[in-house]
Amino acid sequence: MTAPAGIALTGLAKTYQGRGQVVEALRDVTLTCAPGSFTALIGPSGCGKSTVLRVALGLEPLNAGRVLIGGQPPEQARAVGVTGVAFQDAALLPWRTVERNIALPLEALGRDVSPHRARIRELIALVGLKGYETALPGELSGGMRQRVAIARALVTEPQVLFLDEPFGALDQILRRQMNIELQRIWAETGATALLVTHGIDEAVFLADRVVVMQARPGRITAEIAIPFPRPRAPALFTDPAFHQMEDRIAEALHGA
Amino acid sequence: MGRNGLLALLVWEVIGRLGLIHGALPAPSAIAIKVWADRADYPPHVWATLQASGAGFAIGNLVAILAGMAFVLFPRLMQLARGVNIALFALPPLVVAPILSLVLEGMAPRITLAALGVYFVTMSATVAGLMHYDRRAADLVAAYGGGRLAVLRLVQLRGAVPAILSGFRVAAPNAVLGAILAEFGGGGRWGLGAYLLGSLGRADPARLWGIGLCATAIAGASYAVFALISARLLGSSRAISLNPTLPPVATQDPAWLRLTLGLGSALLPFALWWGVLAILAAPEMIAKTPLAVATYLTSPDTAPQAWARLSEALAETLPIAGLGLILGLGLAFALAVSGRLMPGFTRAFLPVALVTQTMPLVALTPLLVLMLGRGPALTLWVTISVTFFPAYVLMAQGLAQVPQGAMYVAHAYGARGWREMRLISIPASLPWAFAAARLTVPRALLGVMIAEWLATGQGLGALLNQSRGYLDFGMIWSIATLTVLLSVALYHAVLMVERRVLRRLGMAAAE
Ligand SMILES: Nc1ncnc2c1ncn2[C@@H]1O[C@H](COP(=O)(O)OP(=O)(O)OP(=O)(O)O)[C@@H](O)[C@H]1O
Ligand SMILES: [Mg+2]
Repeated sequence: MTAPAGIALTGLAKTYQGRGQVVEALRDVTLTCAPGSFTALIGPSGCGKSTVLRVALGLEPLNAGRVLIGGQPPEQARAVGVTGVAFQDAALLPWRTVERNIALPLEALGRDVSPHRARIRELIALVGLKGYETALPGELSGGMRQRVAIARALVTEPQVLFLDEPFGALDQILRRQMNIELQRIWAETGATALLVTHGIDEAVFLADRVVVMQARPGRITAEIAIPFPRPRAPALFTDPAFHQMEDRIAEALHGA
Repeated sequence: MGRNGLLALLVWEVIGRLGLIHGALPAPSAIAIKVWADRADYPPHVWATLQASGAGFAIGNLVAILAGMAFVLFPRLMQLARGVNIALFALPPLVVAPILSLVLEGMAPRITLAALGVYFVTMSATVAGLMHYDRRAADLVAAYGGGRLAVLRLVQLRGAVPAILSGFRVAAPNAVLGAILAEFGGGGRWGLGAYLLGSLGRADPARLWGIGLCATAIAGASYAVFALISARLLGSSRAISLNPTLPPVATQDPAWLRLTLGLGSALLPFALWWGVLAILAAPEMIAKTPLAVATYLTSPDTAPQAWARLSEALAETLPIAGLGLILGLGLAFALAVSGRLMPGFTRAFLPVALVTQTMPLVALTPLLVLMLGRGPALTLWVTISVTFFPAYVLMAQGLAQVPQGAMYVAHAYGARGWREMRLISIPASLPWAFAAARLTVPRALLGVMIAEWLATGQGLGALLNQSRGYLDFGMIWSIATLTVLLSVALYHAVLMVERRVLRRLGMAAAE
């Protein structure tokens, strides 16, 4: 594992030309994630969270602002496999088995898949899908598909991990489990993580810092540091300090 | 279906045995006996038709898939090739057959016509399949540094396989139809078309039915083969959910570029026409260039007479083509909609629709002549039947694709039957209705012309036949040009209405 890369988003502005009206998806969004840090992005639906990720990956042209990942523009960073990503919807290819879906990023990068077979098996076990290696996405439940997407995001051993509501389709119990797993994986890889989520508890449990966004125009309205020491144990979820932190974020979110 | 089919066969047998339709509808057993008696004749004819349509199918599809991929990679190329694509689609095989047999030799005209029948269908299926991919999966590949080609290879191509296969399915009977038409219109000794032509004069209905059913069986079998392959291949890897993401809005090109592309697209078919003739080095007397046709239609020596005959023929052909088109489409829409209300009816009817759709037109018409005589009723019937079935299949497909979620919502609020149709099914299937209209316009023209050629002796079809007899090459090429231009104009007229209506409803066109 090479030294992780940081994320530097400066003055991002993005508008979408809808049918008729113009949507200001991002206005002057500036966000810096130190190498190896874990940042959670939270905000109401439609406030531009996914857009931040897409722009940070260089998938969407910007109206203004600059993106640097490990000091490089995103196009360069992704071409050498620095970034890993799991989108909001699992976006699995329906004709590929679980294994081959997880191998997709390697193929997109033009790498040989065979040396990574063992790692792919490990990842499948990690997300709890042992035995489903050769299943097709159509044969999996929604939550299982999302776990495949997470395994896929990890297959390139990325230094920067973008996660867009990766646990959105999971039930509460599995979600907690995956939260704990994700913390472990993140600690192991030392990657810089940017997680979009709707779950305040998830954000508080996982992140060093929670960034709150508001809609119309999409902008950052608060940044709250989460001081809990690591590694964080599941018991933290029931700690009074944890609930206080949750309340603070809910306040920032709903402007109570 | 099995019991209904048997029942239908029985009724047919009785009608045939009693000679109820002036002996024009022989009993199935009589046809079978005739085919058995002719059994030595069939193999060489069938073999010739299979060879030509098979070669044409392979070549046409190869070109179509490569072209489709190029069009998706370079959208401007697609804009530029639009004129050529629509012209190729609108090209009536009946008109092209004699021309092809003038400038090409041996099997080449048949193969070419079969390939032409395949190209547009497979090309549009390929483009539609490649464009209709999961944008998130494409983003994902891009997020890992994959370029346009990687997205095409990893996401789009495999995703397009179902669409391409359904293209093959529709294209296969087209190839058979094209080959038979070329055999019929272009002379030559072997092939079912040639056999049919040779048997027309004999007043032997059982023989004509035998050939017609044989042609239908080949076309139908080719359809069934690809239907089976796609069912096998696609079993468990169907898309999990529909992707609601809108395709990226095409970046608006500057006006001058759009103008250039539009102009280029209109001129390219003529350039191609010229280029092909130049490459073939066909004699000038036979192979008319666009300029020669223009001269023929404007010079004081030939123009007045040519226009007089053309306009007389058009006056006979167009009204009946229009009427047939409207009736065919109207009937198809009515039946597709009522099929939604009465699913049992659709299930019983769809196989019949499919069989008739694959029945080669040339083989069908002589049989209809036997039953309906040679009047306008025949022309109208042929036109309705060639427009009705494809339109019906398309619209039924559109209605079947109305999202279940939308239906549940309607049902949850108590909308059923006709109200549900009005609120959801009909608007949702509108793009398909328009697509059906667009795609059947050239077929209507072709249907009328085949009926005119084979039976009524009127209109453009008959004029074409006469001109062949008189070796009036200027007229043959003029008719070809005119029919293509007409089809293209009608196609665009439908497209304009379609764009208007759909834009107002905020829907995308179904290709
Ligand atoms: N391709 C697009 N074309 C037009 N508008 C878009 C497009 N993508 C997103 N938008 C608009 O940009 C805004 C932000 O969208 P985005 O997907 O970033 O929201 P989000 O915060 O991720 O929401 P959610 O929590 O529901 O996923 C929304 O108002 C949306 O309508
Ligand atoms: Mg989102």
